[in-house]
Amino acid sequence: MYRQGDVLIMALEESAVPAPFLEAPGELRDGRGRLVLALGEVTGHAHAVQGPGRLIREAGPFGPMLLHLPEGGRVVHEEHATIALPQGWFRVVRQREYAPGAVRIVAD
Amino acid sequence: MQHVNSWRNVAAATGRADRAAAEAGVRRAYRTAGLAEPDRIIWAASPRAAVETVEKLTDAGRSVREEVRTRPWAEERRRMYDELGPAGWSALWSATGAQLWETTAALAERIRTGVVADLAVRPEDEGDVRLVLLDAVLGQHDAAWLAAFDGRGDRLTGLAEVARNAGWWWPYERAVVIAERPDVLHRDEAGRLDHGEGPALAYGDGFALYAWRGMPVPAAFLAELSTLTPERIRAEENAELRRVMLEYYGYDRYLTESGAEPVHRDETGILWRIALDGDEDVVMVEVVNSTPERDGTHRTYWLRVPPTTRTAKDGVAWTFGLEGAAYAPVRQT
Repeated sequence: MYRQGDVLIMALEESAVPAPFLEAPGELRDGRGRLVLALGEVTGHAHAVQGPGRLIREAGPFGPMLLHLPEGGRVVHEEHATIALPQGWFRVVRQREYAPGAVRIVAD
Repeated sequence: MQHVNSWRNVAAATGRADRAAAEAGVRRAYRTAGLAEPDRIIWAASPRAAVETVEKLTDAGRSVREEVRTRPWAEERRRMYDELGPAGWSALWSATGAQLWETTAALAERIRTGVVADLAVRPEDEGDVRLVLLDAVLGQHDAAWLAAFDGRGDRLTGLAEVARNAGWWWPYERAVVIAERPDVLHRDEAGRLDHGEGPALAYGDGFALYAWRGMPVPAAFLAELSTLTPERIRAEENAELRRVMLEYYGYDRYLTESGAEPVHRDETGILWRIALDGDEDVVMVEVVNSTPERDGTHRTYWLRVPPTTRTAKDGVAWTFGLEGAAYAPVRQT
């Protein structure tokens, strides 16, 4: 389990990945060739992965998402130290905050 | 992603429309739909002003929104769905439109609500204003849909040209009303309307929306925020406004001044609780950012968690949808 700011990245056994996602097409990369896990609307700062792999969005604009890194990778962000990830599958979760009657997404 | 980011900018664009480019887009959209170009294109300073202009239109003919916008979209969607298959279409949508959908749809709905609140002086007028709003093509706020179709055919080029250069517009057989974009747009990192020192969204004619982290607030309420005291916050009877006051004032400052004691402390942070009359308790985890700022200090931030939370770790784990026992990062930055 790894955490970069408001994004949590949890290692996942391949056997635990729902079958439809094993071969599902991944998200498109951004203009710098990165997989964007979360993007700040205003600053444009992004939690992003460099290197080969796929990001599969399961539902909704904020995930949850599955990340497959066959060779491992690096999670970068303009304001947080880089995190090196081993090879494998990961579940990516965006931090949320409680609000009475609702739950809202945190953005750092 | 390049497309998504350029459409993200379209949705958030402010400032004067490029009227010539927008009008060329309108004419192109009509031609593409097999319609004669409109005789007149009338500009309005805001969606509110545009609704008033539409209500006064005479001899404009019926709305052609269906032909100009809805049908081409539906047919393009069908064409791409057939070409890409269900999984391919779903992947395309999630990589493009879905990324912008929630924030732009929420913004458009806020604008509709604001227009209705401003123009429907009597409750019985509300239906008429809403009917006019139903005829609108959302211009820049159609960015989510247009992002999905960008670069995949030229049938929506006219609509995209208007979106890149103007705000909402109303297509009728013989006339079109187009609204300018806002002059002011302030949002938080999550894309919600948010401004503590004035309108979060404002058009040239004064039509404006006030909001704090997405929550609509009255204009006069914002003016009061800079003079808040803990006593004033406690005395506020509207629970939602009191929450805004607390956020604006700062939980940490409020906690310090009200002499609050931490409820629990562990390696993940500190849990605080503020009891409020007539409302559920505010329970927060105080967390220290792992990566130091440029000056070497560590930023402290506060996250509100459910009132049933008992430990700091349970609180932090909850923010990621986990039980406390399952939360154990090996590295955090």
